[in-house]
Amino acid sequence: MSSEESRMKSEIESHALELLVPIDQYLAAGVHIGTYVCNKAMREFVYRIRPDGLYVLDVRKIDERLRIAAKMISRYEPDKIVAVSVRQYGHQSVKKFSQYVRSKSITGRVIPGILTNPHLEYYMEPELVVVTDPRADQQIITEAFRIGIPVVSFSDTDNRIDGIDLIIPANNKGRRSLALLYWILTRQVLRERGELMPNADLPEPPDAFETRIGGKA
Amino acid sequence: MPAMQNAYPSTKLSVHDTVKTRTCTSCKKTISPDEKPVIFLCPNCGKVEIIRCNMCRKQGVKYVCPVCGFVGP
Ligand SMILES: [Zn+2]
Ligand SMILES: [Zn+2]
Repeated sequence: MSSEESRMKSEIESHALELLVPIDQYLAAGVHIGTYVCNKAMREFVYRIRPDGLYVLDVRKIDERLRIAAKMISRYEPDKIVAVSVRQYGHQSVKKFSQYVRSKSITGRVIPGILTNPHLEYYMEPELVVVTDPRADQQIITEAFRIGIPVVSFSDTDNRIDGIDLIIPANNKGRRSLALLYWILTRQVLRERGELMPNADLPEPPDAFETRIGGKA
Repeated sequence: MPAMQNAYPSTKLSVHDTVKTRTCTSCKKTISPDEKPVIFLCPNCGKVEIIRCNMCRKQGVKYVCPVCGFVGP
């Protein structure tokens, strides 16, 4: 554990802050690992800059935004939500989220016009878009912008935030990080809806939300 | 009855106009009827509509919930 991580951990423990999962589980999945670049809009979510220049996100802020995002998502009809991940690393996470939340999903390429062209076979009319990576998922953000529907997005320190209406700061590059983030978000949406008891868990562990590459873990 | 029939559409029209007038939560400017702002309940408290004009949305301008003080995006 780096000095930033142990400091963050002891701060959280000394304030007896209750997180959605134990701090060690967050840190092990690397949800707090940012990048070597930080956009101005993402600074408020940064805990510290490591001596090598890596921006470390504040786990408390990640946790807080996951709760708020879940509240927002739970106010929409399940089939009026679409979760998106163009990048392969997010595919399984998005599929599992959609399965439990009963939303629509797009994994892989976003067909241009999917939200704006009613003549397309794949045209859909969601009322809320959940995005994995603003850079890779730019197409859906642009279309949501055009038709005026809200966008909730995981955003890393190097991501631009234009067109995003609610940021969940997080490492959206790693498979394990995405798996844990979507697992927590899914569970929290179901808790907010009352479909899961406040302390109940999903029937599957975060591992089940992780994309396997080439059949390996 | 003809008089009422005449009055009804005009009343409806003015109500319609009032509903159409929207103000951006961030910059407080009136949003023109041809613009499509994004509108959603405050992510945190869900008690009030947050309205973001295209410019504020594009530039990632912060919005503050007038009820709970939540600052987004
Ligand atoms: Zn504005
Ligand atoms: Zn609020």
